[in-house]
Amino acid sequence: MNHLSEEQLVEHYYLEGPDHADRAGHLAACPACASAFAALQQDLDAVEAIEAPACDEGYGEQVWNAVAGSLLPHKPVRASWLHIGWRRGLIYAGVCAMLVMGAFYAGRTWDHQKSSAIAGKPPAPTPQSNVILVVLGDHLDRSERLLIELKHAGDDADLAPPLRDEARKLLTSNEACRQNATQIGDPALAAALGRLETLLDDIANHPDSLSPSEITRLQDEKDIENLLFEVRVLRSRMPDQSIRPVAHSAGGTI
Amino acid sequence: MGKNDQEVVRAVLAGDKDAFGTLVVRHSPRLFRVAFRITGNQADAEDVVQEAVLRGYRKLDGFEARADFGTWIYRIAVRCALDRLGRRERAMPSEKADPDRAPVTIVDASAGPDRLLLSGEIGAFQQMAMGSLTPTERTAFILRHMEDQTAEEIAAALGIAPNAAKQAVFRGVQKMRQRLAALRVSK
Repeated sequence: MNHLSEEQLVEHYYLEGPDHADRAGHLAACPACASAFAALQQDLDAVEAIEAPACDEGYGEQVWNAVAGSLLPHKPVRASWLHIGWRRGLIYAGVCAMLVMGAFYAGRTWDHQKSSAIAGKPPAPTPQSNVILVVLGDHLDRSERLLIELKHAGDDADLAPPLRDEARKLLTSNEACRQNATQIGDPALAAALGRLETLLDDIANHPDSLSPSEITRLQDEKDIENLLFEVRVLRSRMPDQSIRPVAHSAGGTI
Repeated sequence: MGKNDQEVVRAVLAGDKDAFGTLVVRHSPRLFRVAFRITGNQADAEDVVQEAVLRGYRKLDGFEARADFGTWIYRIAVRCALDRLGRRERAMPSEKADPDRAPVTIVDASAGPDRLLLSGEIGAFQQMAMGSLTPTERTAFILRHMEDQTAEEIAAALGIAPNAAKQAVFRGVQKMRQRLAALRVSK
């Protein structure tokens, strides 16, 4: 082993360094280093601690009295951050950072899924759905007109044949619309069309010509007023008024 | 039984300024001792203690509650003493130019080595040797040799790396030995 350097000897004197035992072993075996260490020890042992003058008993009070006047009270701190300590503060900061990163990642994922969902959702105004809407709109328009005529039919027997003809036409489209409403999962529309279908069926398949008394019976039994209201509500639910079909009356375009 | 340091610190931070007086009374003697050892005279040491107390009070909101207040204020006092040594050296740079000249902290500037030795003023003799040390070396040496602080504690007090603290102690020891040897020869 090499001789100990002066720096190592100083470390040894102050009992510092991880290999204190190794150095002690070396000093026991190496006369040159032992001699150098003895000289160092003698010199440092001779350096006495500087003795400060003894403080008066009231020294601390004197110091406080000297400085107290120049101190302003600390403002009370509501949060306990001061007492958290830097290690716990680091933990809190780490947790906050993780939360922010988690929120960021979740936001990105959610956005992606949302945009995917939006992208995957079929747009409402496809040509096929437009046709359905036009058919339904046209059907509701004509049904409303029929119901109005039926409501105000009174004793006018001349209205019976055109009502029955119109009911027969509407019956086919009503059935198609009702089935479509069931398929797309619109039970309210399907139910309303179902009640309308019962009335249309009665009118279209009545064995005799609709007499005034028969019309009155239908008005009472089928609750025309309520059906008319339902049809108007359904018409108001049409998503795009601009694609509502042109209404046809018996006399032509309204 | 009085409150412990941490309870007092909390009270001070809550606005009870006078509570700080308890800490000052409790720790001032230790601060004075280390300040005196570093600065070498009573007047400077008393100034250092007051400066440390003021600095400590103003920095108290940055004090970590789990730390030891005594250690914390002690380190502030060491830094204040070191600053004072630095200022003093800048004010009288000629005394460091010649290492064989008498140091700044000699008790009686008119006394030569022979007279100091003969009169048995070992402390003054020692202080002459310390005059050849830089403020950092002197402080590091005093903290190691007289205050029994480890290299890590010295590093924390001086705001330097532990290795730099070890080097400062080592240079201090080297210079002290050289200076004391020269004084022995001149004796």
